[in-house]
Amino acid sequence: MTSITLKNVAKRFGQVSVLQDIDLDIAEGEFCVFLGPSGCGKSTLLRMIAGIEATSAGELRIAGELMNDVEPADRRVAMVFQNYALYPHMSVYENMAFGLRQAKTPKPEIDARVRAAAQTLQIEPLLDRRPKELSGGQRQRVAIGRAIVRHPAVFLFDEPLSNLDAALRVHMRTEIANLHRDFPEASMVYVTHDQTEAMALADKIVLLRAGPEVRTRGSIAQVGAPLELYHRPANLFVAGFLGSPSMNFLPAELVGADADGANVRLASGETLRVAVDAGGLATGTALTLGLRPEHMRLAEGSDSQAIRRRVRAVENFGEYSYLFLSESSDEPLIAKISGDMLDIPDAPIALHVDPAECHLFDTKGDALPHTTAAAPQAARMD
Amino acid sequence: MANRNFQPARVAIPVLGLFWLAVTTLPFIFVVFTSMKTLQETYTNPVWAMPEQLNLSNYIQVLQGSFLIYLRNSLFVISVSVVLIVLVSSMAAFALARLKFRLNGPLFGLIVAGMIVPLHVTLVPVYLMIRTAGLYDTLFALIGPYVATSLPISVFILTEFMRQVPKELEEAARLDGCGPFKIFARIFFPLSGPGIATVAIYNGIMLWNEFVFAYVLTSSPDKRTLPLAVWDFQGQYASDIPAVLAVVTLSTLPLIIVYAIGQERIVNGMMAGSLKG
Repeated sequence: MTSITLKNVAKRFGQVSVLQDIDLDIAEGEFCVFLGPSGCGKSTLLRMIAGIEATSAGELRIAGELMNDVEPADRRVAMVFQNYALYPHMSVYENMAFGLRQAKTPKPEIDARVRAAAQTLQIEPLLDRRPKELSGGQRQRVAIGRAIVRHPAVFLFDEPLSNLDAALRVHMRTEIANLHRDFPEASMVYVTHDQTEAMALADKIVLLRAGPEVRTRGSIAQVGAPLELYHRPANLFVAGFLGSPSMNFLPAELVGADADGANVRLASGETLRVAVDAGGLATGTALTLGLRPEHMRLAEGSDSQAIRRRVRAVENFGEYSYLFLSESSDEPLIAKISGDMLDIPDAPIALHVDPAECHLFDTKGDALPHTTAAAPQAARMD
Repeated sequence: MANRNFQPARVAIPVLGLFWLAVTTLPFIFVVFTSMKTLQETYTNPVWAMPEQLNLSNYIQVLQGSFLIYLRNSLFVISVSVVLIVLVSSMAAFALARLKFRLNGPLFGLIVAGMIVPLHVTLVPVYLMIRTAGLYDTLFALIGPYVATSLPISVFILTEFMRQVPKELEEAARLDGCGPFKIFARIFFPLSGPGIATVAIYNGIMLWNEFVFAYVLTSSPDKRTLPLAVWDFQGQYASDIPAVLAVVTLSTLPLIIVYAIGQERIVNGMMAGSLKG
């Protein structure tokens, strides 16, 4: 069953259009992550679902009911704020009980729910403390506890981990994943600018774009499972946003196409085979070839499916190395190679490129369809 | 070397502080000492001499007069006024600080501009209004003008305070089911505690010393407040300087006690706006 439905939703602040053409379904129990660069309106979208921000246009439904004009407290949503937003003058217990008290829940039930949530989150010894006596991680737990006690249909998280240090962030990320497992019927909507968090937590990622393209193409760049966005980005924006270091983009020209794929010529003169359906396009069409740094490996012998460059710099990380290769444009071509690499300035190097892991984008920036199935690694695991 | 570390401020500030301490406490010491002297001593002994013995007869004389009635009147008028000031100004401050409505800015400006209106300009109209309302020569005659004249500064202080409460707390409260009034009463009012203490203490002190309205709006001795008491006693004991100063000491004492207890809050409250803003 669908939990949240957004139809043609838009948000404007005065003359400025922040969000446009949002069409989205979030299923019951689904963990949906809003991801995007700063200024893309992902927090605003979350706040619109919460009811803190009004929608400028379109329909917002929760569990089938139109919610555009419903008060936040009546939407069966609970929100965890970026800076926790705990009431400083109340104890942890009172913070968690406050919403239930406002809803006139009977006292014994409030007590039972608060204690159950405190137990789940292991904050029972903290119930009498004030927020300022807690560490960042503890505050985060209390904020989550305040959401749990309300038994909401939807949990909303607004960058909940961004104020924590790196180690605690990984830990709390697992706890949020556990929370999702403990409340299987509740949907979770989670805002982050951190793609690692998004990849780790999401059933579905909604990648939002910022900038002038919003007006022409809408706010949503792509919706899909994390691996789908990673392996089958729908356009240049998605391809460049997901993955670190980002995907390399090389100007290319179509030299031929058949049912299994296409041949493209790079500006450097090499011709590569790509498993992309370019059948509809004329030979000589200008395209962009997308290559993820992690999808290149050292070529052996006289590999025809290889690109040859000179090494500009090497960064060794022990487990893997980044090679910065000279490219005609200012942007270097980056390759991520497993193991250590010797840093020999200007050394020539050949890197093999798997046709199935190449992406082609047309002049509008849209991806051309692949001729092979997505996520080949996952398929091989069966 | 030592000279290079010499900072004039390190010497000047304590010296200035001591000087100011003398300026503010010496008159008070004079008042307290003299209030314990006999009338004869004030004429024969030097002005700054200690009293020859701990002589409380002046105090007894004053307390047996109508001093306690004045004190009771002052306490009543000021406590009612301060409660009203805190209630009205905190609600106004919440609306001005957090609610979005047309004319919010101009309205705030208008209220704050009230601070520059000299009180004396309003005396005649206020007198006429109080007469018309039939409140002349009652304690209630004072409460209205006291609240009204204290509101601009109080609204100003509390608005600054409430602007600093994070927006997320308001949003969390909305998600918890609070309407605007509950957000005010359960979140903003308790969180503005230091600001409210500042407003209460500051206005309490100002009103404790208020003379002009009390003089114009009351006439019978049993409806008068402490500042008028000093004035009355001055007429009554014109030549009895120690008795007059005993009245002064007694009427200042509550203020000194309040200030001693709340000093930190007053200072913090006064500076909060500038530091946190």
